Amino acid sequence: MKQPLVLVLAAVVLLPLVVRHAIATEIWIFAIFGLGLNLLLGYTGLLSFGQATFFGSAAYVAGYLLKYYGIGIFTALGVGIGVGALSALVVGYLCVQRAGLYFIMLTFALNQLFYFIAYQWTSVTGGEDGMPGIPRPALLGIDFRQPLAYYVLVSALFLLSLWAMQRIVESPLGKILQAIRENEVRAEALGYNVPRFKLLAFVIGGAFSGFAGVLYAMLFGIVPLEAIGFVFSGNVVFATLIGGSGSLYGPIIGSLVFIWLSESVSVLWARWPLLLGVAFVIVVLFFRGGVVEAWSRIWRFSKRAS
Amino acid sequence: MERRQVLKIGAAAATLGFPAIVRSQPSEIVVLGLWDQTGAFADVGPLNDRGMRMALEERGMKVLGKPIKYITRDGATQAGTSTRRAEEAIDGEGARFMIGPWSSGVALAVSEVAKRKKVLHYFSGGTEDISGARCHRYSFQWAASPYTAAKTVVDNFMKANPKAKRWHLLVADYAFGWSVEKYVKEVGKHHGLEFVGADRHPLGEREFSNYVQKAAANRPDVVAMINFGGDAVGGAREIFNFGLTPKIPLIMTWSSGVEELIQLAPEIRENLWVGTNFYYTVDTPVAKEFVKNYRAKFGTPPGYAPSAAYSMTRLMLAGFDKAKSAEVQDVIKALEGIEVNDLLGRMRVEPATHQTLRPYFFLRCKPKKAMKEELDFADVIATGDAPLPKEYAACKDIGGF
Amino acid sequence: MNLLFGQILNGIATGMLYALMGLGLALITGILNIPNFAHGALFAVGAYLLVTVVGAIGNFWLGLLVAPLGVALLGIAIEYAGIRRLYAAGHDYQLLFTFGLALILNELIIVIWGPVGISHLPPAVLRGGVDLGFTFYPKYRLFVMAVAGLLVVLTWLFLERTRYGAIMRAGIENKEMVSLLGIDIHRLFTVAFALGAYLAGIAGALTAPIRGLSPGMGVDMLGIAFVVVALGGLGNLLGAIAAGLLIGVAQAVVAAYWTEASTAVIFAVMAAVLLVRPQGLFGIR
Repeated sequence: MKQPLVLVLAAVVLLPLVVRHAIATEIWIFAIFGLGLNLLLGYTGLLSFGQATFFGSAAYVAGYLLKYYGIGIFTALGVGIGVGALSALVVGYLCVQRAGLYFIMLTFALNQLFYFIAYQWTSVTGGEDGMPGIPRPALLGIDFRQPLAYYVLVSALFLLSLWAMQRIVESPLGKILQAIRENEVRAEALGYNVPRFKLLAFVIGGAFSGFAGVLYAMLFGIVPLEAIGFVFSGNVVFATLIGGSGSLYGPIIGSLVFIWLSESVSVLWARWPLLLGVAFVIVVLFFRGGVVEAWSRIWRFSKRAS
Repeated sequence: MERRQVLKIGAAAATLGFPAIVRSQPSEIVVLGLWDQTGAFADVGPLNDRGMRMALEERGMKVLGKPIKYITRDGATQAGTSTRRAEEAIDGEGARFMIGPWSSGVALAVSEVAKRKKVLHYFSGGTEDISGARCHRYSFQWAASPYTAAKTVVDNFMKANPKAKRWHLLVADYAFGWSVEKYVKEVGKHHGLEFVGADRHPLGEREFSNYVQKAAANRPDVVAMINFGGDAVGGAREIFNFGLTPKIPLIMTWSSGVEELIQLAPEIRENLWVGTNFYYTVDTPVAKEFVKNYRAKFGTPPGYAPSAAYSMTRLMLAGFDKAKSAEVQDVIKALEGIEVNDLLGRMRVEPATHQTLRPYFFLRCKPKKAMKEELDFADVIATGDAPLPKEYAACKDIGGF
Repeated sequence: MNLLFGQILNGIATGMLYALMGLGLALITGILNIPNFAHGALFAVGAYLLVTVVGAIGNFWLGLLVAPLGVALLGIAIEYAGIRRLYAAGHDYQLLFTFGLALILNELIIVIWGPVGISHLPPAVLRGGVDLGFTFYPKYRLFVMAVAGLLVVLTWLFLERTRYGAIMRAGIENKEMVSLLGIDIHRLFTVAFALGAYLAGIAGALTAPIRGLSPGMGVDMLGIAFVVVALGGLGNLLGAIAAGLLIGVAQAVVAAYWTEASTAVIFAVMAAVLLVRPQGLFGIR
């Protein structure tokens, strides 16, 4: 169990030497986003296709306060967690009543609702243009406008998020959520209030997403409209599936692969989404379980061979 | 082509590979074209690229004896993606000169990157804020001020149609639409116009029937659209289908010219009046040469998109020439107040606002029988270059470096 | 008042298209139980195929006949080669697959037809409009309304009055039972997917002269199709039709008074209904 953690720590330390600070920062932010989603997808078995709702809402609210009220970084992050959790509570309440396909489509459609509200409320969100001018306040004398300084902050917060998520999934709550994923009826029969636990998973996932959203806004200095759009929601799902939703570390690998791919391949070929689509199809047909699964398969194979 | 591929692959590796310090070659001038290949303006990006490339190749990809490295990035017509990729090009490739993007809303976000990273930024679009409320020392605006555009369109349209007092507006719902709408209404006041309706639609809208019905219900004398590209084509088509035109005139206030007109059937173009930043029949030596070369290379005449990219690049190069230096701040200082005889004739960059002062064109489309050839869509019937009056100028202090 | 009637008429016209999309998606989600995120792309393919066929043979009517069949064939190929393997895979992988498919189709459209929007006029006989008193309405839109309505009715009759239709409906209710009764469940799935694809394709083909073509034209339709199905009740075919019309009319009527909110209204209506009736308008439970 220790080994993956060591690898993650190594990645955090080495990544900024290999890629630009901004991209490295974005990777960890996306990983936090993925951790939140995977609590729902991997651990509870809920395919939430609207996580951008919480990510984007938190980004807008915290961004607005950062820009016009000059709040500090940790206040902003607190706001992000709060808004993420609250919006997840609202959406979750509407969605946990349903299961399966219905659930997926509901999360998607509610995401669209939030998107169009953000689109129309131009006086606050800037609509199509987004909300630029988000500052990165200093703290304790540290100027986070320096890319490296911000990277250190974000990666530290990422490690904190990873630790928190690990505690959650290893706790009794985590076990209950997994039990719900395995067999909802049995969990109900055992006396657990399944909808309530699903809602709790939603809220926690929303909190993580909101946290990531605020960090994203501060990274790029802008809250773009697409941060609350369904493409964003889709991206985090796909990244997590590619990494492997069955593991705590899947979203991390997924984030690394996805962001690296989308940034480097897009420079080469404008039609790179075609390759992305093909990658999805290949993963589904041959590599279900994602990179984590493929890796453990290779690991087991090589062990057998030796 | 091979060399380009190799360069591209190297660029990709470099993008994710090594920090800029290790890679940049000090003698190269890296110029970024932020042109969309995906998203709402996916069809415009390639056109912009053509124009910019032509302007650079005219100089043999060199200026001041130094080689120019031209790189492009797909902004996806989204603020987040564009700012991200612009920063990556600046930090990773050492780009110090940026032209684009195409969307006004995205440009506002990119302009902030220019300010933060201290790179020269030339942009063409309908938002007045780049040379207005959000002006700063690093960004320049090529397109005519929305005031100039509105004045040219409204004044000249009213000259030809003095009785058309009831106007209905159909406006794209973002920075560009808002700016132009504001001035159409301002200028309209002087003509005693009554704006019976003004509806906003999202960028990329394709279902115009609801908007058109609403317009029809207001019984206007004229419908003026303030939108662009696919939106303008879709709107014009529906306005025709619902029988508003050709009975009442339709104005495309800020059109891309050829690129939109070519998508409209001759019936739809009847009683169509077009305001544009560039039309291919413009009579200047530079324009004639450009149109000739463009047509030879690509088959159709250029519209606003490639011409803007072409002209912005030429202006930027003129700045290099005048400054005799490739330092960003020297080029900026050279551009301030520069006067050239370029694509649109006499063009000047105003130092206080970084607004390019140049003519705006007003066209009237021809009926099918009057067309001399397949692409003879319209005649330029007027130009206007009234600059933004002082009382509207929102750029109070362009600031320092 | 005239504006209101005009908008209602318009709403019914767009609502019919929404109903077609929703019906196709309801069939696929109901029978195959997969989230088909490629449904919007199939719509776009239908439009592009129409324009290509009409460009090649010069006849709109033939194009309208052939293009959706092309999409149906594409649907069969997709189901056979890919989706068939995923029935036991879980919704997340089905989603990833269909989304990947949507990306591939979208990008192929750009590669083949280019990123620029294409205009396509309706056939000469359907150009121009009719004065209906309260509004002047384009002939082609009336045609689309009629054809879409006819298709909806035909699909309905097929599902309600034919034996195979009954099998399909039974498949929505209880797949195991149907296969236990000796019916080839795999063929059922293929037919269902092909039919759903056909409906999406013909919706796209019909829309081409109205909205013009652009590679992203399927993306908005995807969202709307999902709303229609969620609102109508999953697997509920009558519900999909009713929901499509409701949404079309709501969008058009709101546009008359608060234009900017007309698209958001679609999702607001869905959220409002689901709050009161989580199973949708006609869903059971």
